Amino acid sequence: MLEIRDLHAVVEGEDLKILKGVNLIVNKGEVHAIMGPNGSGKSTLSKVVSGHPEYEVTEGIILFEGEDITEMDADERAHLGLFLAFQYPVEVPGITNKTLLREAYNTIARANKREELDPLEFEDYLVSKLDIIEMKDEFLNRSINTGFSGGEKKKNEIFQMAVLNPRLSFLDETDSGLDIDALKVVSNGVNKISSPENAIVMITHYQRLLNYIKPDLVHVMMNGKIVKSGDISLAEELEANGYDQMQKKLA
Amino acid sequence: MSKVSTKELIHTYVQLPSVYRENFEELRLQAKESLENTVFPTKKDEEWRFTDLKSITANKFESVKSGILQVSLELNKYHLPEAMNSRLVFINGNFSPIHSSVEGMPDGVIVSNLNNFSEHEQLRSHLGAITNYEDDVFVPLNDVNFQDGTFIYVPKQTFIEQPIHILNVFTDLENPYFVTPRVLFVGEMYSKATIIEEHIGLSNNVYLNIPVNEFRLYSGAHVHHARIQRDSKNASHISRPVAMLDAHAEYHSYTICLGAKLFRNEPRVIQNEEEVDFTVDGLVLIDGEQIADTHSVMDHRFSHGNSHQLHKVVVNDQAHSIFNGKIFVAKDAQKIDSFQENRNLLISDTGKVNTKPQLEIFADDVRCSHGATIGQLQDEEVFYLQSRGLTEQKSRELLVYAFALESVESMAVKSVEELLLKEVIAYTNRD
Repeated sequence: MLEIRDLHAVVEGEDLKILKGVNLIVNKGEVHAIMGPNGSGKSTLSKVVSGHPEYEVTEGIILFEGEDITEMDADERAHLGLFLAFQYPVEVPGITNKTLLREAYNTIARANKREELDPLEFEDYLVSKLDIIEMKDEFLNRSINTGFSGGEKKKNEIFQMAVLNPRLSFLDETDSGLDIDALKVVSNGVNKISSPENAIVMITHYQRLLNYIKPDLVHVMMNGKIVKSGDISLAEELEANGYDQMQKKLA
Repeated sequence: MSKVSTKELIHTYVQLPSVYRENFEELRLQAKESLENTVFPTKKDEEWRFTDLKSITANKFESVKSGILQVSLELNKYHLPEAMNSRLVFINGNFSPIHSSVEGMPDGVIVSNLNNFSEHEQLRSHLGAITNYEDDVFVPLNDVNFQDGTFIYVPKQTFIEQPIHILNVFTDLENPYFVTPRVLFVGEMYSKATIIEEHIGLSNNVYLNIPVNEFRLYSGAHVHHARIQRDSKNASHISRPVAMLDAHAEYHSYTICLGAKLFRNEPRVIQNEEEVDFTVDGLVLIDGEQIADTHSVMDHRFSHGNSHQLHKVVVNDQAHSIFNGKIFVAKDAQKIDSFQENRNLLISDTGKVNTKPQLEIFADDVRCSHGATIGQLQDEEVFYLQSRGLTEQKSRELLVYAFALESVESMAVKSVEELLLKEVIAYTNRD
């Protein structure tokens, strides 16, 4: 589904390299976790894959379903079925969740020559997805993330994911700042969305999230590269010994 | 630029037909006298230093013949459903009875053109009483020239349910012309009313619109006042709306600026007794080479006053927005709570914004604050929406729409809210 080959990236207009040759293959139905210390480039990887204009790819290629998406705009990638759950979801006062999601859903439907939903149909569809993150109807009419608690913002990201039904989702530090109850709701939501037809890549600093969402593969990222891949035991090793230890071992 | 006398510029200002000049003669003579000695403002004047007056000074404006009725003009699409029987229409400054409709008003209420009540005691005692602008040519120009206008009188404890729609329409005439719309509103104790004042240019012609509004609110009177400026994109509009409030009065005004090449609005609210509440909000959406300038005054002369101002501006292309917000608090006017906020959104690289809060506070127990921001759309916001599948263009439109929405939502009248939403969408979608 996703293939990243030797990906190098810098912040647009600066020389400092953040990604220094990332290789990653994600197949349909898989759940991956990318772990790493602060500044390792793991969040940047998720932004580069989703087409953030702040970053420039200097080398390498990103293939999605065999198609080169390296130079595509973020919206075109979303139309193909890519989704990024933000670490810091943006507040947009004045636009309701419902407005954004209908616009997004129908734009993606149009791009894929699927039928758009009229306001009434869409309302029913939205309400049917609320259970996934245990939210009430009024959530739909609130301005996007405006005045939301940290937990509500993260739930909203997962709600958007449920509504847009992407093929591949990057979850950027979705667990950060969540208390245990919110973490359970968010993880449950992700597990409900996860299917053999889609794939999920979790970016996280801590192993905690992986107790709730079981990854098929765990990757460790350091200094702009994936330095080690393995199964869940790799995460447990990190939790026990820390990133420093692993770095020493690898060196 | 050399100094121009107002007389040269607006050279016909003394040619008002004698039948009208005999009305309010004292006011007109006084104004005429002050005009004889004034020069037209230039950028050298502190209050006009950012404002390019070229679109006025490059033209000569004639007065419009009075008494011309444009019976065939079709204005239905500008009607507000809430105000079907509370509408006064002025075409190029002339009152048009055939387009107007006032019915079913509570006892004692007057909603009429001025000339119909020119001998009315309330009209005679209030007209021109609170419009003292310093070194000013525009109020005197209106004083001398207004041929008719609006007179609204609301007696004690009377509540006018339907909004009153004052519709000023401007058509294309052979030569550039000037008009001087006038509104006098008198609200007695504990009266209540909503006024929608609209200026619409039907064509793209050059004209100069100089409205003067006087709102006198006695104790406990409540007024919502929406002003919608949709003048021709080649027109100039210099506005002087003044409100004076007695104890417990409330005045909420929103000015929406969409049209005109040059718009200069100078709203003033004067606290004339203790305990009043007022807002002076604005929304400006400009593009092309439009100039929109707001010089507002919130004048607290007595204690216990609340005032709030949210002035929102979106600037595209080479447009230029100017904001100067004055808050005055007199020496013994304690316990004033006043807040002013000017938020500017620049959506082109060539737009321009000047903003200046000006707080002059002589009392020591007050809470007055202000904030001004000038910003562009944040890349992170655009990316967020784009990552959900919206095109970059659509994402930007939606963000501008959301920025403007806050002002629109505070409209008191549903159809006005809808009208403005359409205008906001038209502004953001214009490409």
